[in-house]
Amino acid sequence: MQATKSFEQAFLRHLLRGFRLSAVSYKSMSLQERKSAIKLSADVAMASARGSRKWTRGLITKLSREDEHRSFLRLILGTEYGRRTKPRHGSWKIPRSKKIVRRSLRVCSRRKNNLRAPHGVKSGVLARTLVEKRTHALKRLVPGGESLDGCSLLDEALDYVISLRAQVDLMQKLLTTFEAPKLRALSKCTLPERKASFVGK
Amino acid sequence: MSSRRSRVSEEEINRLVSKLQSLLPETRQRGAGRASAAKLLKETCNYIRSLNRDVDDLSDRLSAIMATMDSSSAEAEMVRSLLRS
Repeated sequence: MQATKSFEQAFLRHLLRGFRLSAVSYKSMSLQERKSAIKLSADVAMASARGSRKWTRGLITKLSREDEHRSFLRLILGTEYGRRTKPRHGSWKIPRSKKIVRRSLRVCSRRKNNLRAPHGVKSGVLARTLVEKRTHALKRLVPGGESLDGCSLLDEALDYVISLRAQVDLMQKLLTTFEAPKLRALSKCTLPERKASFVGK
Repeated sequence: MSSRRSRVSEEEINRLVSKLQSLLPETRQRGAGRASAAKLLKETCNYIRSLNRDVDDLSDRLSAIMATMDSSSAEAEMVRSLLRS
């Protein structure tokens, strides 16, 4: 499974626009500043190229929580910014309290298991807890995944992985094209040396 | 007792699981054996983390090389990539 050609085109287009808006081409930035700007452009480009999915909305929301990202996001998303970053029906608060409830439930169930579960049952309980634990981990890794369950979480994770792979591929290709002139220049430098040694023989 | 609704969900989940398995580098190598839910989740999480690290690393390298390029050649290269694809 791969991202489509239109995704690739849209990603590059958005990336170029992001680079222009954050002026990464200008040498006045520090290496770290430029790196952050590039990464931010790449993430926004990936979300914009993909369109409307739970994870793309989750990613934009997550990025907008950092103060230093807001002006860039406002610039690149334009009128979409207000719509995309506004929490719906106070959904900000719910995930946090859900986490606390979940944590306390986990503590309670762990206490209960230590006191009551006989040995034979332990492996089944352990397996279920492991799946739960890893599901929670996946929910945290997939943007917007906290409010998803089972099937939808897997569906979003699949889509997110495909898009991430495309993002990595395209950034790698871009790096290669940027590096190509340097490599050509380097190979030109070594030729005269070889010629001299041949003549010497 | 699986009602029609839950049977459809089960097919759906199986489809998603096999798609995911075909993407994950570790399970792909191992072949068509069905991984456990816990294993699938672990490998998906690991893969996402690894891809995020790749993006971070590539951002570093792009930043380094763009430091040596002038603005017009960087943009020109990108436009050329767009036209090529």
